Amino acid sequence: MTSEIWTEKYRPDKFEDIVGQEGIIKKVKALVGSLNIPHLLFTGPAGTGKSTLALIIVKELFGESWKDNYLELNASDERGINIVREKVKNFARTKSFGNVPFKIIFLDEADALTPEAQQALRRTMENYSQTCRFILSCNYSSKIIDPIQSRCAMFRFKLLEKKDIEKIIRKIETAEKLQIKPESIEMIYEGSEGDCRRCINILQSTASVSPLINPDLVATIISSAKPKDILVVLDYAISGDFQKAREKLLDVMLKESISGQDVIKAIQKEIWNLPVEPELKVKLTEKTGETEFRIVEGSDPFIQLQSLLASFVLAGLGK
Amino acid sequence: MNTPTWTEKYRPKTFAEVRGQSLAIEKLRNFLKKPSTERGAIVLHGPPGTGKTSLAYVIANETKSEIFELNASDLRNKEKLNEILRPATEQKSLTKKGKIILVDEVDGISEVDRGGLSELVSLIESSAHPMIITANDIWDKKFSELRRNVEMVQLKEIDYKTIKDIMIEILRKEKKFIDGDVLTNISVKSKGDLRAAINDLQIASSLENPAEIIIDERNKEVDIFSAMRLIFKGKPNNSLLKIFDSVNMPMEEILLWIEENIPTEYRGEELAKAYEALSRVDIFKKRIYRQQYWRFVVYENALLSYGVSAAKKTEKLGFTSYKKPTRILKMWLNNQKIEKKKTIAKKYAKYVHIGEKRALYEFPTIRTFLLKPEVQEELNLTTEEIEYLNKEN
Repeated sequence: MTSEIWTEKYRPDKFEDIVGQEGIIKKVKALVGSLNIPHLLFTGPAGTGKSTLALIIVKELFGESWKDNYLELNASDERGINIVREKVKNFARTKSFGNVPFKIIFLDEADALTPEAQQALRRTMENYSQTCRFILSCNYSSKIIDPIQSRCAMFRFKLLEKKDIEKIIRKIETAEKLQIKPESIEMIYEGSEGDCRRCINILQSTASVSPLINPDLVATIISSAKPKDILVVLDYAISGDFQKAREKLLDVMLKESISGQDVIKAIQKEIWNLPVEPELKVKLTEKTGETEFRIVEGSDPFIQLQSLLASFVLAGLGK
Repeated sequence: MNTPTWTEKYRPKTFAEVRGQSLAIEKLRNFLKKPSTERGAIVLHGPPGTGKTSLAYVIANETKSEIFELNASDLRNKEKLNEILRPATEQKSLTKKGKIILVDEVDGISEVDRGGLSELVSLIESSAHPMIITANDIWDKKFSELRRNVEMVQLKEIDYKTIKDIMIEILRKEKKFIDGDVLTNISVKSKGDLRAAINDLQIASSLENPAEIIIDERNKEVDIFSAMRLIFKGKPNNSLLKIFDSVNMPMEEILLWIEENIPTEYRGEELAKAYEALSRVDIFKKRIYRQQYWRFVVYENALLSYGVSAAKKTEKLGFTSYKKPTRILKMWLNNQKIEKKKTIAKKYAKYVHIGEKRALYEFPTIRTFLLKPEVQEELNLTTEEIEYLNKEN
């Protein structure tokens, strides 16, 4: 059955179909050909093909029976390492089907695990290395503890280039009978920040409105997806209306379920466009960094962000 | 004259009088039907005031049995135990009445004093009579051995409408009248604890103005208002360091009140300073939690009172009406509202091999094509979820 969700429908299922990441593909293909792979660590930004490659590996290894030999977990969704361990244990208890002597566990967003949890994961990897191979995926390899890194073959995925993205979009254009203007491609690429999944999602959303993909339409879809309201929050703060800024901030965070860290990310990017002195921009950036640090450490994001907004009020006063 | 409290007076006598626990009653009935060799013991567990002990007495009444009540200390006292158990374990009793052994509130047995619990377990094995045990938290790890040896029946918190109905009935029998709003207030405040509600009801009925029974809650707010006035209006002084002692509210809640009201009083630089203090308070709060190092409370306290107060340069004059914190309520309301969004994101996440958080983050981008019926079918969305999507757009 082909999917109606394009990220699935156009997900490559052969090594040859993957766009970009040529170096990685060559090495991984050779490993899979030898029917013996070590633990793998895929690191790189979102939407660069980490999960896709993992899926291709299992399909190549196990053919039809891949679903019986593959367990997919997402570290940021599982409640604690114990759940992960339990699932791994249950899965690894039985032997693999077919002529490959191991099963594959794909642990996505492994960098969401604390260092302590990663230690526990390392033990689990060792205990089941007879029957299981792990493919870990993460955005930042530096957040993976050394002992795990040293047990894995690491592959660094790069952001897709514009020509890669264009290739993918053109392929979908033909298959779905769309008409896409070159400016639209440019815009989709900009809006996706090199994340292939976002590209396809933006494209499908736009196409579900009209098969004529013109730049205006793309812009509407992208801006409705962007936390543009963050800009409104900052505008209120800079103009001195803290109460409104605070209210709007809570509203945005709740309604769009945006995390504190996502808000910070948006704020940090907007600082450079604010109508304040360069000196103050530096000051605000510093304060923003401090706020992000506090949130990452576990502080209440809303309290920390309010404190940050108060600094924007000051900046609005030229202080 | 010794008049029983209402909680005693209106304790149910028959199964028919027990409210809102029909499932538990069913299980108890089945339990009593079993032959004694297979029976073991049954544990009634649930929060206070949900009717655990009452149910035990109702069964005794309905089956015309006597109750032998044991408590935690009896279990450590071998002599006493024998004294009670000898007649209890004899097959025939003189009165020809059945017997039920009730061990009430086993939570009281401390973890250190494990003897009592293992005594209880061996008692279950040897007893010829049905045993009923009540506990608040049966999932406590000290009960792990006990859990393996018993049947468990959970009693749920009683919903506030049932509590209100029961109160109305009691008032009718007592020939008293209390305003419906007050009754609603009492029943909501009881959080499912029927005993607490009936106690409140009895006190309220004896007051000239029954509404005063709920003033308790409001008093708290009077304290926080005057505390905030002192912090926000006046110059910082050392008496502020102790100000929260007189506020009958957990620190967590005080923090929310201050957070909500900083911007009603402060502007510009003082605003920034006050929030910086608040942000530090929150950091200490997290450190206490993480490291279980309670001395940090001192800093939390000082920064939240003196720290916020010292953010201003001059005293504030005039009257400010402070606001109740609304953030928690808003968060709660929103959670209700976006529940469907979360379940949709979950299905989508699994389907396209990404994490749930990521799916939520992408939601605005994918929302448009989630409206397509083919996609909805593919993701197996429920009618409620589809309704949510249609409403959002």
